[in-house]
Amino acid sequence: MSIEDPYELLSKWFEAKEYLVVGKSVTRSDSIEKAIGKARFLEDYYEPGRMLFVKQLLSTEPHAIIESIDYSDALKLTNIVGVFTAKNIPGINNVGYALPDQPLLAEGKVRYHGEPIALIASWDIDDAFKALEMIRVKYKRLTPIYDPLEAMERKDILIHDEQGSNIAFTTKVRKGDIERGFSESSTIVKNTYKTHHQEHAYLETEAALAIPDIQGRINIISCAQYPHLAQRIVSKVLGIPASNIRIITPYIGGAFGGKDDEGPLVAAKAALVAYLTGKPAFLIYSREESIRIHPKREATIIEYTSGVDDNGYLKAIKVKIIHDTGAYTNRGPYILWRATMHSSGPYYVPNAWVDGYCVYTNKVPQGSFRGFGNPSIQFAVESQMDELAKKLGIDPIELRLKNLLRPGMDTITGQKLDHSVGVADLVDKLARKMEWSKVRRELEDWNKRSNRYKRGLGIGVAWHGISTSRGVPDWSNAYIKIERDGSVNVYTGIVEIGQGTPTTSYRQIVAEALGAPLEYINVVFGTTDAPDTGATHASRGTSIGAIGVLVAAAKIRERLNRLASDILKTNPENIVIRNGRVFDKISNREIRWEELIQEAYNRGVEVSATGYFYLPKGKFDDKIGQGFAYPAYSFVAVAVLVEIDTWTGKVRVLKAWPGLAAGKIINPTQVEGQIEGAIAQGIGYVLYEKLEFGSKGEILNADLTDYVIPTIQDVTLDVEKPVYVEDKYKYGPFGAKGVGEMAFIPLPAAIANAVSHALNKRVTTLPLTPENVLKLIGGL
Amino acid sequence: MFYVLPRFNYYRPNSLDEVLKLINELENYKILAGGTDLLIDMRIKRYTPRNIVDINRINELQYIREDNEYIRIGSLTRLQDIIESNIIREKLPLLYNAVYNMASWQIRNRATIGGNLCNASPAADTAPPLMVYNAKLVVSSINGSREISILDFFKGPRETDLRNNELLVEIKIPKPHIHGYSYRKIGRRNAFTLSIVAIATYVEIENNIFRDVRIALNSVAPKPVRAWSVEEYLKNKRIDREEIYKASELVVKDISPISDVRASADYRRKLSIILIRETLFEASKITG
Ligand SMILES: Cc1cc2nc3c(=O)[nH]c(=O)nc-3n(C[C@H](O)[C@H](O)[C@H](O)COP(=O)(O)OP(=O)(O)OC[C@H]3O[C@@H](n4cnc5c(N)ncnc54)[C@H](O)[C@@H]3O)c2cc1C
Repeated sequence: MSIEDPYELLSKWFEAKEYLVVGKSVTRSDSIEKAIGKARFLEDYYEPGRMLFVKQLLSTEPHAIIESIDYSDALKLTNIVGVFTAKNIPGINNVGYALPDQPLLAEGKVRYHGEPIALIASWDIDDAFKALEMIRVKYKRLTPIYDPLEAMERKDILIHDEQGSNIAFTTKVRKGDIERGFSESSTIVKNTYKTHHQEHAYLETEAALAIPDIQGRINIISCAQYPHLAQRIVSKVLGIPASNIRIITPYIGGAFGGKDDEGPLVAAKAALVAYLTGKPAFLIYSREESIRIHPKREATIIEYTSGVDDNGYLKAIKVKIIHDTGAYTNRGPYILWRATMHSSGPYYVPNAWVDGYCVYTNKVPQGSFRGFGNPSIQFAVESQMDELAKKLGIDPIELRLKNLLRPGMDTITGQKLDHSVGVADLVDKLARKMEWSKVRRELEDWNKRSNRYKRGLGIGVAWHGISTSRGVPDWSNAYIKIERDGSVNVYTGIVEIGQGTPTTSYRQIVAEALGAPLEYINVVFGTTDAPDTGATHASRGTSIGAIGVLVAAAKIRERLNRLASDILKTNPENIVIRNGRVFDKISNREIRWEELIQEAYNRGVEVSATGYFYLPKGKFDDKIGQGFAYPAYSFVAVAVLVEIDTWTGKVRVLKAWPGLAAGKIINPTQVEGQIEGAIAQGIGYVLYEKLEFGSKGEILNADLTDYVIPTIQDVTLDVEKPVYVEDKYKYGPFGAKGVGEMAFIPLPAAIANAVSHALNKRVTTLPLTPENVLKLIGGL
Repeated sequence: MFYVLPRFNYYRPNSLDEVLKLINELENYKILAGGTDLLIDMRIKRYTPRNIVDINRINELQYIREDNEYIRIGSLTRLQDIIESNIIREKLPLLYNAVYNMASWQIRNRATIGGNLCNASPAADTAPPLMVYNAKLVVSSINGSREISILDFFKGPRETDLRNNELLVEIKIPKPHIHGYSYRKIGRRNAFTLSIVAIATYVEIENNIFRDVRIALNSVAPKPVRAWSVEEYLKNKRIDREEIYKASELVVKDISPISDVRASADYRRKLSIILIRETLFEASKITG
């Protein structure tokens, strides 16, 4: 018998001392295709005239009863096949992820300006647009609420009547005794922080193409970040079994969480039209529709009090987190959970009292976006740390090093972290390497000489729990089969959204575990033909998604080792398979990989396997606000140097020093790509981007003319090579933890701290647009 | 992307005469030059012209020429051709700077200088330099041609002095004397962005005295404007830091900014003052 137990297999490969391809900067298999423009994205599958073009009718009211929808005139247009509303949905018109509060198409009521109401199906585009103008919706207006603080108070205006309150969801953490903690504190800092929405602005807007096939199934080419979730949602909306729905994803032009929320809904809308008409149906969002419809990064208000004792040790925190979740909760409760669980930052805090509120307003919903509730709370935490350091008169790094979590300590939810806690090492290593104290001193001198321009250095340190919050089940899986010629197919539900997970780390992990040449490995990604792998979100594509890949490959490897030992007449432990060579390390007898696989087929050794792994977790007790939060944490620290033009208020980030404690780094180039991308996106969020809302709660800048994202000219900073602390996590593939979201998370904090340092004024509100900076200085 | 434009009749004349005849007869028409403003405006239904007159075949409107008195730019000249022209770079550096900072390479290869002026956006970036150069605009109709000073051309947001049957054919710029200059454009990011304020500053200096001062700004009023009060104050004064500080504050009399999604009126006023100061320092080569 070979070993098939996933725990044993994982720990065997975890112990690896040498690697063939893991840890190397292997080139992505999709890079050439993408560079020369051959890679196909969703829109490339649209054939005008041969499929229905679907156009959405959106609400122009923020809060209103729908009295009637009259589309009789639209139906008279020659190319219009149908107009579909909530009443045409054969299954369940409810697509809320966390709470059952959201319809696919508005039913009875609209709750935000931009909410989808109807789908127009047309053979040609012109008629679709004409029909849009001909549909008459009669509304009875209700009073809208846009301010979450007002929404919390009001009982007379309810955005969701069935909830009985505009507070959709609450969270809490309770640890120790904060009154005692604050009484032991000699220095207390209290501030209120505000953060704003962020639009994902992916290059490719949302789209889906649904094609009914001869077997009565519906195939959907989708941009969802989780094919199996899209399948579940479509199944629910259509009322047909999930097995009749097949999801495939082509290359996706960016997602950042936005297509985790919206992707399945786009698939469901296209599928609904295909199901009702029997024709292939293509739906694509225009840029304006994309910005108006899909959920945004959380806008928050955070009240934060923290206390330290004379020695600089944190004694207590009291935190109130308010998330403006907009018209629907979408993933708001999960986002709030994450913010709540992370509200101490990566520090040891003996006494904590945290309350979170997820509040409805008549605006675009809140949703998933790189960091998922964490960047805003880390901004508050890290601003507090700098203020405490300032009051204590000690260096910000020194204060952090005193309080950072170390192995064996427990978090604010009372969870003991026994291993894979490299954050203190990381901050220490980063500070030394970048010569933090020297740079800071030099800057302060520079500022004495400079009148108009001021420079500042700031750091943000953060943690990010890997996998879903609390005890929510999470697992990994994959299916691998070796073809007769020795080439390998790997099936995964993880998608390719630009990050390169299936096209790099998966190939590396399989090549490492099987010993097959890297170029033999083909990954079939983003499909429900693969076992449910979970979503490509939460930095889990490699960290969790690839556990299944490793387990499946390792199972086959055990079988191949036995087979090879039979052929080469040696023990399985002596078998080495390296880059297609199979040999006995004692006798050096050798066969080729192809021969080995041929023998497997001849002798009846199975060369296919699944790699199911269920992540062990604990329980979180909502009543006492304590318990298990996450199986492991990735840690990140980014220091930035900024320069401020005090005349115009313009902030420039000149340099960034990133550091990561994310376990084993499987592919350094890919990780650097994630870090640099996150820094650019973070600079955009903090310095440039801001949604503007009009008097109807409508987004005034729902286009890329006025929603300003940075160009290459705005991210001219130097990004230093990252510092890594490889604090391996025992269940991660080769000890890897998550990377994708990491560098974004501390960035608002780092920039705000640098600006505060330069100006000697505390930043509490984002974004730091030139106007807001001038206001902070008192120049406006 | 999938958008639709309102329906229209499309004309593509082959000569200037044909254009002038057509626009004399047609009602409810729009000229199509690069289309980088017009197509977007049609998509958002700001304009729904019944007729479109495409002038892209009129090659005789694409040129940059220099004679003794003037530099002449054909109205259909592409922005990219303007920044690639030695004449412009050497003789009209403010125009070079302004166009260099506009849009992107792709857009500049389509967009024309005539389109930028006739579109008459308050944020038109070729306006400030042309206004300090006192450019003249030559417009033609079947009845003949006339010249309009650029200072009289803009009437308000998207309104010009053009009559219904007139086409802008040439921008005629008197060759400037030796001068100091400085250009700044502040947008919401460093590139590929519309102005919050752009400013062109031109000074002629003799014996440390401002003989001539001309300053123009966009995006701070319903149309691009000259900073007459600042200019008047400084003319014939010695170059002096304090005087420049004082003068720059006067710009608030010349502008009337609004608040919109791009910036607040207060910020635009503040920036105007700062940029006038900064560009005057740079143009007169003194340090602030
Ligand atoms: C992505 C992008 C970025 C941009 N960035 C900038 C920027 O940085 N700064 C800036 O100022 N602008 C910018 N623009 C706006 C635009 O590109 C410029 O205004 C451009 O110069 C317009 O020229 P066009 O030839 O494309 O005009 P068109 O769109 O063809 O025409 C504009 C208007 O002028 C009229 N017209 C054109 N030619 C004539 C003529 N000869 N006689 C009479 N009427 C005429 C048309 O009927 C129309 O009303 C940008 C546009 C885009 C899409």
